Amino acid sequence: MLMTRTVLMPGTVLLNECYKRIILLWSYRFNFLTETFMIGFLFIGISFFVSGGSPAPEQMAPALLGYLTWFFAAFAIGDMSQGIREETQTGTLEQMYMSPLPSGLLLAGRSAASLLVSSAMVILVGGILMLVLGIRIPVRIEGAPIFALTISGLYGFAFLLGGATLVFKQVNALSNLLTNMLLFLNGSFLTVERMPVWLETFARSLPTTQGIDVLRRVMLDNLSLASVWQDGSLVWLIGHSVIFLVVGWGVFLWGERVARRRGLLGQY
Amino acid sequence: MKAAIEIESLSKIFRGRGSDDIEAVSQLDLTVEPGQVFGFLGSNGAGKTTTIKMACGLVQPTTGTVRLNGYDVRRQRGQAMQQIGAVLEGTRNVYWRMNAWQNLLYFGRIKGVTSGRILKARAEQLLRELDLWERRKDPVGEYSRGMQQKVAIAAALIADPPIVLLDEPTLGLDVQASRTVREWISQLTKERGKTVVLTTHQLDMAENLCDRVAIMSRGRLLAHRPTTELLDLFRREFYQIRLRGSIIPADVEMMPGFSASQENGHTVLAGAVSEELSVFDLVDWARRAGLDLVSVTPAEPNLEEIFIELVERADQAPWQDSGVEQNGSYSRAISEIGG
Repeated sequence: MLMTRTVLMPGTVLLNECYKRIILLWSYRFNFLTETFMIGFLFIGISFFVSGGSPAPEQMAPALLGYLTWFFAAFAIGDMSQGIREETQTGTLEQMYMSPLPSGLLLAGRSAASLLVSSAMVILVGGILMLVLGIRIPVRIEGAPIFALTISGLYGFAFLLGGATLVFKQVNALSNLLTNMLLFLNGSFLTVERMPVWLETFARSLPTTQGIDVLRRVMLDNLSLASVWQDGSLVWLIGHSVIFLVVGWGVFLWGERVARRRGLLGQY
Repeated sequence: MKAAIEIESLSKIFRGRGSDDIEAVSQLDLTVEPGQVFGFLGSNGAGKTTTIKMACGLVQPTTGTVRLNGYDVRRQRGQAMQQIGAVLEGTRNVYWRMNAWQNLLYFGRIKGVTSGRILKARAEQLLRELDLWERRKDPVGEYSRGMQQKVAIAAALIADPPIVLLDEPTLGLDVQASRTVREWISQLTKERGKTVVLTTHQLDMAENLCDRVAIMSRGRLLAHRPTTELLDLFRREFYQIRLRGSIIPADVEMMPGFSASQENGHTVLAGAVSEELSVFDLVDWARRAGLDLVSVTPAEPNLEEIFIELVERADQAPWQDSGVEQNGSYSRAISEIGG
């Protein structure tokens, strides 16, 4: 019985969070469609700007790969900071914390639901952009672990912001700044090698930069996992993602403890 | 029988900057028996909501424990949370962009109900009982305030918890909606054996609904008694003294705890006597002031008068240093009334 419950519970939590997410997304469908259009339009606009008005499909493939990864980042950051802030105001966060289920499980379910919904949006936006602009990104199975590592680090970063939101509340401006910073510094449109050394160092410390770099080499340059391991970039990505995930999870737990101590879970 | 809620030495100090610490709850000891409607009364800032939130595991106590049906909220969190459902004051508690049906299914799963069949049956039963079934597919944001509060209460009950905590459940509701909620609270205990803890500023509601009340002020417990017992105790203290003629306002100020009104050429003094001011002192004062005494009758106090009386006495008492129970003017009421 306990075994069944242990196995069933994470699945139920995940489906429940997806259920809520889809309903809420649908209730804001006009905003959602406008934002989706804007995301596609923004990519086309930036690509034209960066390429001096004549973007070539083969040059746009790496940019699109980076841009779509950034989209995951924007979605995860928005969910963890803005989402938590809104739920604090409405009191639904307190209801969540009154669940008999561990808060870690609920947070994981929430993140997985966010990832599933953002994946669906990425497939939609990416698919349309690829069709309209004639961009081709080959599907390679080797890209899956790189993608998983990138997303893990990214969610670690989002947890970090979520923990900060629980305590400081007004991190909206900071999360917007970080989201925009990621777009321009993660190497989507301007490779980090072309940045000044100090900026390159900073850019490489951001959550998606290394992931996008390795992802491009594996997906677009057909490099094997062994070769990216040998040149150290995969090792760096693993270390980077693990650090972000562990630190982010730790900061979130810290934020929870502080919020409980100061009575901030239902206070904005 | 095991207590539904046991609170022992519960304190909460919110740390401020420098020496601005706020003691929201101080050394609270309280027991709520199963199947009761328990009223938590107090002015704003008395510590009621902080206590409720500590019982819900949302605020960590500085000292002390809360046990729900024997489960320690801090150490046995999972089991303890299965014992309660709560509607908290000042927030929506549910998603207004979702409809009532979706909210109940979502919160049911969050609260650990894994069987879809049971969950749907409970959701239907709750929505029908609360007259929301016909509008179950409308977004909660489009409901009236009363209906929204009903959805929040239904969400708190979806996992069928034995204890329900309702923080200001009728706040902002119109008369009709408030009445429905009151009737339903009564039904929850009488027909389903649930323990209901409610905080409210509507003392007439508390008087009618609650089997037992606790009165708090500045984080401390002033009284903790069955409602009827509390009313009986104060019945011995409340008097109405009718005098022929008028008295000047300065004279009324000399009678703490009493108010004066004019009625058919008479001055009617009403209030509670105390150790400092007995009914004999008042009669003696009237005689010396040359006022004709018409009548002295014991008055029937209501919970609101008792509440005001207790809180005023507590405010006048220098209890910060000496402790509530040891204070002179307050000691009689407390020794009789306090827990």
